Amino acid sequence: MLFVAKRLGSALLVMFAISIVVFLIFFATPGVDPAARLAGRGASPEVLSQVRHAFGFDQPLPVRYVLMMDHLFVTRDLTSYVNIGDKVVPQIMQAAPVTLSLVLGAAVIWIVLGLGGGILATRFRGSVVDPIIMVIGIAAVSLPAYWVGEVVNLITQDRLHDSVFSWVPPLGYVPFAQNPGQWALHLLFPWLTLALLYGGIYARVLRAELVTAMGEDYVRTGRAKGLSERRILWRHALRGSLSPVVSLFGLDLGSLIGGAALLTEVVFGLPGIGKLTWDSLQNLDLPVIMACVLYAAFFVVAANAIVDLLYAVIDPRVRRA
Amino acid sequence: MSETILRADDVVKQFALRGRHRGTIKAVDGVSLEVKAGETLGIVGESGCGKSTFGQCLTRLVDVTSGTIQFEGTDISKLSRRQLRPVRSRLQMVFQDPYSSLNPRMRVGDIVAEPMRIHKTGDRRAIQARVADLLERVGFDASMAGRFPHEFSGGQRQRIGIARALALNPSVLVADEPVSALDVSVQAQVLNLLADLQDEFGLTYVFIAHDLGVVEHVSDRVAVMYLGEIVELADAEELYASPAHHYTAALLSAIPQLDGEAEPERERIVLTGDVPSPANKPSGCPFHPRCPAATEICRTEHPVLHEEGGRAVACHHPLPLRVLSSAERGA
Amino acid sequence: MPAAPLLEVDDLRVAFRTRDGVVNAVNGLSFTVGRGEVLGIVGESGSGKSMAMYSMMGLLDNPNATVTGSARFEGTELIGMPLPKLNRLRGSSIAMIFQDPMTALTPVYTVGWQIVEQIRTHEKVSSQAAWKRAIALLDEVGIPDAARRAKSYPHEFSGGMRQRVMIAMSLACHPSLLIADEPTTALDVTTQRQILELIRDLQAKYGSSVIMITHDMGVISEIADRVIVMYAGRAVELGGKSQVVRSPRHPYTWGLLGAIPRPGQRGQRLATIPGLPPGPHDDQIGCPFRSRCRFAMDECSEMPQLRATGEAADHLDACWLSGDARKSLRGEIA
Ligand SMILES: Nc1ncnc2c1ncn2[C@@H]1O[C@H](COP(=O)(O)OP(=O)(O)OP(=O)(O)O)[C@@H](O)[C@H]1O
Ligand SMILES: Nc1ncnc2c1ncn2[C@@H]1O[C@H](COP(=O)(O)OP(=O)(O)OP(=O)(O)O)[C@@H](O)[C@H]1O
Ligand code: SF4
Ligand SMILES: [Mg+2]
Ligand SMILES: [Mg+2]
Repeated sequence: MLFVAKRLGSALLVMFAISIVVFLIFFATPGVDPAARLAGRGASPEVLSQVRHAFGFDQPLPVRYVLMMDHLFVTRDLTSYVNIGDKVVPQIMQAAPVTLSLVLGAAVIWIVLGLGGGILATRFRGSVVDPIIMVIGIAAVSLPAYWVGEVVNLITQDRLHDSVFSWVPPLGYVPFAQNPGQWALHLLFPWLTLALLYGGIYARVLRAELVTAMGEDYVRTGRAKGLSERRILWRHALRGSLSPVVSLFGLDLGSLIGGAALLTEVVFGLPGIGKLTWDSLQNLDLPVIMACVLYAAFFVVAANAIVDLLYAVIDPRVRRA
Repeated sequence: MSETILRADDVVKQFALRGRHRGTIKAVDGVSLEVKAGETLGIVGESGCGKSTFGQCLTRLVDVTSGTIQFEGTDISKLSRRQLRPVRSRLQMVFQDPYSSLNPRMRVGDIVAEPMRIHKTGDRRAIQARVADLLERVGFDASMAGRFPHEFSGGQRQRIGIARALALNPSVLVADEPVSALDVSVQAQVLNLLADLQDEFGLTYVFIAHDLGVVEHVSDRVAVMYLGEIVELADAEELYASPAHHYTAALLSAIPQLDGEAEPERERIVLTGDVPSPANKPSGCPFHPRCPAATEICRTEHPVLHEEGGRAVACHHPLPLRVLSSAERGA
Repeated sequence: MPAAPLLEVDDLRVAFRTRDGVVNAVNGLSFTVGRGEVLGIVGESGSGKSMAMYSMMGLLDNPNATVTGSARFEGTELIGMPLPKLNRLRGSSIAMIFQDPMTALTPVYTVGWQIVEQIRTHEKVSSQAAWKRAIALLDEVGIPDAARRAKSYPHEFSGGMRQRVMIAMSLACHPSLLIADEPTTALDVTTQRQILELIRDLQAKYGSSVIMITHDMGVISEIADRVIVMYAGRAVELGGKSQVVRSPRHPYTWGLLGAIPRPGQRGQRLATIPGLPPGPHDDQIGCPFRSRCRFAMDECSEMPQLRATGEAADHLDACWLSGDARKSLRGEIA
């Protein structure tokens, strides 16, 4: 328990540190007027002075930091000055479910694909099954997601839309609360596209780990005990082999939720975080960019904390009392 | 007597136990000793009594919970990993566990060469020549350098570990059961090798082993550990001829004898009673639940390691010392 | 000894294909183990002792390894036995203790869990009953505070304690053949004695047979009935314990016994056997020991067979030296 508390505590600390660094980069870069950047290109003097006052640019740094965090997390009234009047936090709140739906759904699929592929390949090492799975894996890894997405769209939305794929809805997003069936249907092909890439990677990583584990001395002990090969693989070899997969998963999940699913979102017309970040970068919409960065950092840090906790569950050697 | 090169003062190493039965294990519980330059100090004791842990404390492969360790006069017990690096090349350890301490994906030639590459002891050619020389010294053909650890038997792996530890010409070598996996003829080779290196370069050894015959053969002094403490420390000859601690006596009497060879005039002492756990150390003398001579005071009072005439023993009722005849001394 | 031995090994060979040629790890090994007998195996490190045992247990899954010959356990052939059938034998009728205790246990499960797994693989017992038995076993092999330490993970045990766990696990189902690959190497002598007693108990209670691989001639003297001395994948000497230890016949055995450090020789150089063991790819003709043997003669370039050369018909060795001259020749190296 103490371990859990410590780990979560350190995650919070890291978050705090990141927020400070981000804040300093955006608002304490010497020689740049942060108000001008916040207000966007070609802002009027009135707007500028309004911004200065709202963010306390006439006050010392710590106060400014607190004010900024207040705008972000407490009053949540940070506004974009590029698209005047758009509140930043609600924008993120709106985009986040889209990305979460996309990434979490895809994660379920790729975990199943990756673990299944890796285990099957190990189980049938020496037969044709193993190389077949591995070749599929490497093909999946090497195809760019946006290209697969475009091809999928071409087939399901265009070429075969009138026959086989007539059930495929147009591109876009339907919230889960509004219609769960449509939500899943709209996300089906984005999920598969994203999962294909990661499933391939995971299958290969897991197989490599499993094959090493199956050569360990304790596997020999298991055989000498009369355990079946299946039990040795599932109960003994797999557990230790999961550690690298879990840490990979944490990193991938964190960065994808943080916006790295951009290409998939764009191809399938999903208004998620990736797309939001992209648009705000195009417009140099500073408040939005900063909020997106903090949001992404939050998920990366949280995912890593969860990975560490999972690690301790899987491998007793990293546990500390 | 020559100077002290390695010195442990009241070293404690504690591990935490988790789960429902939480608590701590004092694997090493207040060990103090001095290792003199050029000598071989043997450490024996029950398995699990903390020999390896103490060895790892001495070489600072683990952090000590408390106490200090002085190597060549400087306290290394609190140095950081970076600060330890220059110390490492002169203070090496051979591990008990020959397989998991060798990287299975490296060829043995690279395993032996790695410390030299890290510490940049020479150019490629020089290192290669040294690897070949080291491998030959531990009894391999230099052509074996291209093989991987899993292609070697247990005893062969152990020798690879020794070659690696010798690569940097250390001045102190803490050897944790360096020959226990070897057959007696290879063991003899390795022991001779260690003796040669000692003669040639004045190496100092801390030699942890279970084979009391081997320890007797190589050691100048022997420390006997029990439940994380040193219970007896004496010159090898004297200790073997006339143990003062009851645990030492029991240990010596359990040495398996060669068929047909004259049994030494020792009575078999069979230890009764449960082996106590380091997590739950008995009060008083840690050995009292199994000691044939235990009395009330042993149950309540912890005996301190008491030195007299070069022999140290921690016992309320030590065995009477037999005075060695000059003939035995000469042997 | 009863007529049918428990285990009959005949011309066992294990070869590894490697990048630079074939390595013959075991090279035509034949022996028998009677019921209730303890067979000791000593020999050079790397002489194929472990590999011979692995091949009998079906534990060599290296695709580059080929096993030939035969090993019959209670009349059934072990080499090439289909896996499901083998799995019913392994761990119940034949158990094995491995040489390296540090890595032989799965790091992510408690030691108690691993013993329980062993019991429940072969016997239909409840989990509680199996746990109880596991704790009793751990207690029997001398793990202090067994009920509590059963919940510990392997990395929390010292080398010797892990070996005791392995021993407890192998004894769990009362095997009729226990293969012990250097079971006490990692143990202090008092614990070693305890383990030897334990193995003896198993023998007395269940009439089990034991194959004991060790480097310690003292252990052999304590527990073995017969001894095999191996060199370069072959048996070079085979006989009763006292025969081999007291009046060894093969020059390699002479060297081996001469290399044991003895009391009173402190600081002196130990006798060794000069030279290196034959490399893995050396020619397979002739006595494998001849490059290191000071008695080598012309005949030695032909392979000597294991046969009785002295008075005792059950004391065999593979050496061309004349049977009668052995005693005086041994005197020469001593
Ligand atoms: N990481 C750890 N966590 C908890 N306990 C530990 C850990 N490492 C060692 N111990 C405990 O510390 C004690 C001493 O262990 P150590 O390995 O030093 O013994 P040893 O004397 O070298 O034994 P052996 O001769 O069997 O190798 C043992 O009781 C062991 O269970
Ligand atoms: N995978 C492999 N590839 C090539 N050679 C191997 C392989 N595994 C083992 N060998 C060789 O087989 C020989 C026999 O090894 P084995 O482990 O049986 O020796 P051992 O008699 O048990 O020795 P020890 O007493 O040191 O444990 C060794 O010379 C080793 O180098
Ligand atoms: S056969 Fe020849 S070489 Fe081999 S051991 Fe006998 S004398 Fe020596
Ligand atoms: Mg140890
Ligand atoms: Mg072996």
